[in-house]
Amino acid sequence: MTFKRRVYKGIGITGRKSSGRLHFINNKSIDSSDKTAINVGAELIKLENARKKAIENVWTIEKNAREKIGHSEAQIFEIHAMLLEDEDLNDAIENKIKGGKSVEKAINEASEEYASMLLDIGDEYLSARASDIRDIASQLINALCDNTKNSKKTDTEPYILVANDLTPSQTVMLDKEQILGFVTALGTPSSHTAILARAMNIPAIVGAGEIDKLYDGSFCLLDSLKGEIIINPTEEEIEEFNKEKDKQSKIAIEHERYLRSIMNKPAVTGSGHKIMIYANVGDVTEIEPALSNGCEGIGLLRSEFLYLSKSTYPTEAQLFSVYKDIAEKMDGRRVIIRTLDIGADKKADYFNLENEENPALGLRGIRLCLERTDVFKTQIRAILRASYYGRVAIMIPMICCEDEIIKTKELIEKCKAELRNESLMFDEKIEIGIMIETPASAIMSDRLSKHVNFFSVGTNDLAQYTLAVDRQNSKVSNLCEQNYEPILRLIEMSAKAIKKKGGWIGICGEMAADLSLTQSFASMGIDELSVSTPYLLGVRGKVSECK
Amino acid sequence: MKSFTFTIKDKNGLHARPAGVISATSKGFLAKITIKCKEKEADGKRLLSVMALGAKCGQALEFEIEGKDEEEALSALKSVCEEKLGNDI
Repeated sequence: MTFKRRVYKGIGITGRKSSGRLHFINNKSIDSSDKTAINVGAELIKLENARKKAIENVWTIEKNAREKIGHSEAQIFEIHAMLLEDEDLNDAIENKIKGGKSVEKAINEASEEYASMLLDIGDEYLSARASDIRDIASQLINALCDNTKNSKKTDTEPYILVANDLTPSQTVMLDKEQILGFVTALGTPSSHTAILARAMNIPAIVGAGEIDKLYDGSFCLLDSLKGEIIINPTEEEIEEFNKEKDKQSKIAIEHERYLRSIMNKPAVTGSGHKIMIYANVGDVTEIEPALSNGCEGIGLLRSEFLYLSKSTYPTEAQLFSVYKDIAEKMDGRRVIIRTLDIGADKKADYFNLENEENPALGLRGIRLCLERTDVFKTQIRAILRASYYGRVAIMIPMICCEDEIIKTKELIEKCKAELRNESLMFDEKIEIGIMIETPASAIMSDRLSKHVNFFSVGTNDLAQYTLAVDRQNSKVSNLCEQNYEPILRLIEMSAKAIKKKGGWIGICGEMAADLSLTQSFASMGIDELSVSTPYLLGVRGKVSECK
Repeated sequence: MKSFTFTIKDKNGLHARPAGVISATSKGFLAKITIKCKEKEADGKRLLSVMALGAKCGQALEFEIEGKDEEEALSALKSVCEEKLGNDI
């Protein structure tokens, strides 16, 4: 361990910050030195047993990944199982054993040969697969040694893990209680490890280059937004870092008791303007926690979860039963269901969507729904039927023009007519709203407002499209951070437009939870702020402090 | 012997997942299945060998299928290619 300050730069993955001591793990922990006398028959049997066990383990990991983070991320482990069964790789290992090498050495050498073969093709995607080959090789070796917990370090304080490279299976099996974040020397943003880290929301930096082993145990600041690790930072750097990191947690600790005491009171500003505090929810299990933090409604139910977790289109009955359940649990409070917002960047395989150069500007949201009207109608019917059991509203994403609303409303009317014919109950006065998340929708809000009961501003996409900044791109994402004015102007424009027509407006993007903006929103007359559950109390408290 | 040529339209090329589906499909048939791409050649039943073709978007895969069930293998592989690699941008 050394106390010299040093900065490493790599590619940030989750945009989160973390600090703690570095802990190096060595991927090549297995001694693969040649043993003198090799019994070829015995080594081959060891290999066969290890292979069976490794395949079994891979399916366990696959199940784990599927449950923790979803089907599409788990698919890589199916490929791992196939690789373990691959005849070329197995032949190569067996031939090496027959040539007098120990099974460990044979596995290491054969997998390295195939990994470098994939690297040599010079294709970024296939190069990333080289780590999959290494992953299955280390699993084979672990199975051989009955050593499935090689990278675990327990009974210590949580740490930031440093590795040459992490395999996807190591990433999924990381203990989130124990790991504050990780840094890898190799890896790219398109490697599965990076994708999984993103899905698991672990602060991570990949491609940081080799970090000097002298720093094992040193304290560091990891900023995965900047893609920067500062080892042995100065006092000022720590202070600055903690200040930013604490911004949110401080509020939670200091004000929590006070906030709990006002949890069930309406959020009203000093001048008497009432703001409804709603929750963003992506799953049925999030309803209870939201209610116990005083949410007055659901401002954004991301309906994708019922689609992305499945291997085929959900039926109307399945959708209806979940929506009905949520409507009933919310017990008369408003539940705004955003219709399917799926696109090339967020897709379920069975939709058979084409890959797109620019998914953010592609066939997504309402654009896709209006192309696949059969899928869309199934969802609309389910939402309408659920509206009988509570106070449900429909919200349409990615609107750019009047025509899209008119077409959607026609579909809704068609569905209503069908339901009436079938004597199925629904709320005849169900509210219809649109997301304001494209600059076009804000600019045209005076026209769009004629057609709907409410607007809800999706600030994440609105900022991305207005500022021309891809928030996933660490080189530019900081440009989104302080440049609020253009977005605020668009929100104000939309608020004026909808209020003129007697409607109401809410905000459901990340900006809704930014307490430095609450006063601006209150002044514009925003009627509802919808935030994820951890921010509910803080936002309610802030509104009551507003003028 | 049966053969067909398929040009990859998926921008990621013949990456791990479609290669996995092609080799899994191939394994279901008795026929010998050879895939050629540029000067490289792969055994269709072997995943690594198929992946190692490194076939990219716009390149042609030539399938040669020989054996009792070549007819069925041909149509199965054709539809797999179409489904997994036929989506252009």
